[in-house]
Amino acid sequence: MTTARRDGPARLGNPVLLGIAGPAGLLLLIELAPRIGLVDERYLPPASRIGAALVTEAGTGVFWTALWETLSAWALGLALAVAAGVVAGIVIGSVPVLRALTASTVEFLRPIPSVALIPLAVLLYGTDLGSTLMLVCYAAFWQVLVQVLYGVADVDPVAFETARSFRFSAWARIRYVLWPTALPYVFTGIRLAASVALVLAITAELVIGAPGLGREIAVAQASEAVPTMYALIVVTGVLGVLINLLARTGERRLLAWHQSVRGEVAL
Amino acid sequence: MNVLKRTALALALPFVLFAGWWVLSADSENFYSPPLSAILTAFGDTWTLDRIRADVLPSLLRLFAGFLLAAVLGVAAGVAIGLNRRLRAVAEPVLEFFRAVPPPVLVPVIMLFAGIGDAMKVIVIVFGCVWPILLNTVEGVRAVDGVVLETARSYGVTGPARITHVILPSASPQIAAGLRQALSIAIILMVISEMFAASNGLGFTIVQFQRGFEIPEMWSGIILLGMLGFGLSLLFRLAERRALRWYEGLRAAQRSG
Amino acid sequence: MLEVKGLKKVYRSGEREVEALRDLTFTVARGDLVCLVGPSGCGKTTLLRCISGLLDPTAGDVRVNGKAVDGPPPGMAVVFQEYGRSLFPWMSVRGNVELPLKQKGVPKQRRHELVEQSLDAVGLSGSGSAFPWQLSGGMQQRVAIARAVAYEPQTLLMDEPFAAVDAQTRADLEDLVRQLWKRLGVTILFVTHDIDESVYLGQRVVMLSSSPTVVQDELTIDLPAERDQLTTRADPRFIELRTRVYEQIQAAKKNVA
Repeated sequence: MTTARRDGPARLGNPVLLGIAGPAGLLLLIELAPRIGLVDERYLPPASRIGAALVTEAGTGVFWTALWETLSAWALGLALAVAAGVVAGIVIGSVPVLRALTASTVEFLRPIPSVALIPLAVLLYGTDLGSTLMLVCYAAFWQVLVQVLYGVADVDPVAFETARSFRFSAWARIRYVLWPTALPYVFTGIRLAASVALVLAITAELVIGAPGLGREIAVAQASEAVPTMYALIVVTGVLGVLINLLARTGERRLLAWHQSVRGEVAL
Repeated sequence: MNVLKRTALALALPFVLFAGWWVLSADSENFYSPPLSAILTAFGDTWTLDRIRADVLPSLLRLFAGFLLAAVLGVAAGVAIGLNRRLRAVAEPVLEFFRAVPPPVLVPVIMLFAGIGDAMKVIVIVFGCVWPILLNTVEGVRAVDGVVLETARSYGVTGPARITHVILPSASPQIAAGLRQALSIAIILMVISEMFAASNGLGFTIVQFQRGFEIPEMWSGIILLGMLGFGLSLLFRLAERRALRWYEGLRAAQRSG
Repeated sequence: MLEVKGLKKVYRSGEREVEALRDLTFTVARGDLVCLVGPSGCGKTTLLRCISGLLDPTAGDVRVNGKAVDGPPPGMAVVFQEYGRSLFPWMSVRGNVELPLKQKGVPKQRRHELVEQSLDAVGLSGSGSAFPWQLSGGMQQRVAIARAVAYEPQTLLMDEPFAAVDAQTRADLEDLVRQLWKRLGVTILFVTHDIDESVYLGQRVVMLSSSPTVVQDELTIDLPAERDQLTTRADPRFIELRTRVYEQIQAAKKNVA
């Protein structure tokens, strides 16, 4: 409440206006900095030229194909990773022996940077979708798996004992006790995996040259089409923001009943 | 007994996997997956002290320089933004956008400005790492307990002391979470910036092996990168556990109370 | 000397206005121990925050030793109800007690003396290096009291400090407050919702009405200075006084309804 005296709502100004002021200021800066010679125009074109390049891009079929390729690689990779992560997480998490056995391996494999697999992906799949999928799946899988493991560990032992004392079958125990407890964690895992998957999809395209927005960025860079390059980067940023927003709203809506029970799990 | 059992459990699966890989790949004719024995021989031959000094060390130096710079910038800016509501309202949409941009696309942009030298790689790492640190710091600063702030104020703990003794320690668990995310981004960016344009470094060397179809050497590089990632995250966790001992204790006390 | 004159506080949130304090006037003489008691939700905490300079009143003023309060006045210490949040969990007990002294610029030697003395005074001389969350609730509140005592205040504000501890600990802490008050000669303003506690502790009791709050009545507690949980609470005069306070509080509630 100490803050109330320093910046009450009257003195703070309209939050929506302020929220618009930030991006507007940034755009203005990018417009003016090259024009008054603060940065070299060849390196950072004015915002208006980037905007124009974006419009031009949006008029081409290549752009939309690339966008589609990126998004489908993202979605497919994410779906595979989520399916594998959830199944593996539940199996490992609900069998104590498996959990103890795999803990060290999971801890070892998880921090391996997914980009270490780039050369391997290139050899196995060349510049196909397969390369992108491999990296996306690898990176996203761990996010889901770890969250599901947290979730399964969070199951109240009393609830589990209760289910056992009523002679629930193993399947019913998973369906009615384990799954509802783990569900919020699954969503957190999906949200985290969704952003990681986009990063890896674009990275694979950029570095390996698999089809998609990342490759278009590399092409624009190689052909010194700097405004186009910036325009495409803006598109990837917007995609990232949209995916974050979507995942967060989805998570909040689906888990409205659960939020009060559980604090955010540390990343 | 318990320790022994735990160690056995921890080592069992890695051992089985390792043995499995060894046996299954022993007579491998497949060009892309050479026998593990060949990879290990290549590992010893490839990663000599000279090689480590020439390729691994520069990579690590870039990584640390970038990570530390990003940490200082991110925490400083995060505290400033977290403490000022108006600044936060202005900056937050911009920050959310920058965080959402996949960090590797920064490589071509920063190459324009900074060429292909060490500066480029460090700047790429700083640019990619700073956002999670910054945003987590903002969250941490915002979440400082009201009673804590009032206590500090009524006991005259103000100015710089307020930041070092109250705001930063209170936000440190979130800051640590941001640093942990940033560390894995830093490793990724280190490798990618070297794959793009470099004359030395781990990423560069591994790509060279791949392009030269020196498959066992390439595998050994991947393994080294994995070990590096694992080692750094282990180091980070040890440091974190030391620095946040109070937080773990507090949480344990809250759970049991 | 603490003077509260015509104090009024109105909270505004958008179109809605809530009048928490309507018109409060009372004084606490130097070296007195005054208890403020009122029905729950009567704005006791708002009043205390205005007095401690953490909140600006809408009208009226607070004077400490003749000087108007705007911001936390020097020479005043506050003990908050939420001891768990008011102690900094990242600092040891000793660190918590010492930090305000450091801010005040007390030399190191003297600081250590004050810390040890005050921890000793609250019966925690052995727990200096523990973290607050390793202690029980009652012990944590003792640490908060030690921090206030070490600060060497002329005025001590206590905001329902024992509302969250169990009954037996509470009795011990009440005696501790009386004992410290007599020894240090500080002015204490003690806010509580517990009628028995206010009569047992206070030299004077100020009763507040329900919100919007005014002073309902004042009462001098003419019990002997040496008080004791058993004999004082069984004293017919004690029962008489607490009945009067109780009646006034009941009357205050009816006035609103």
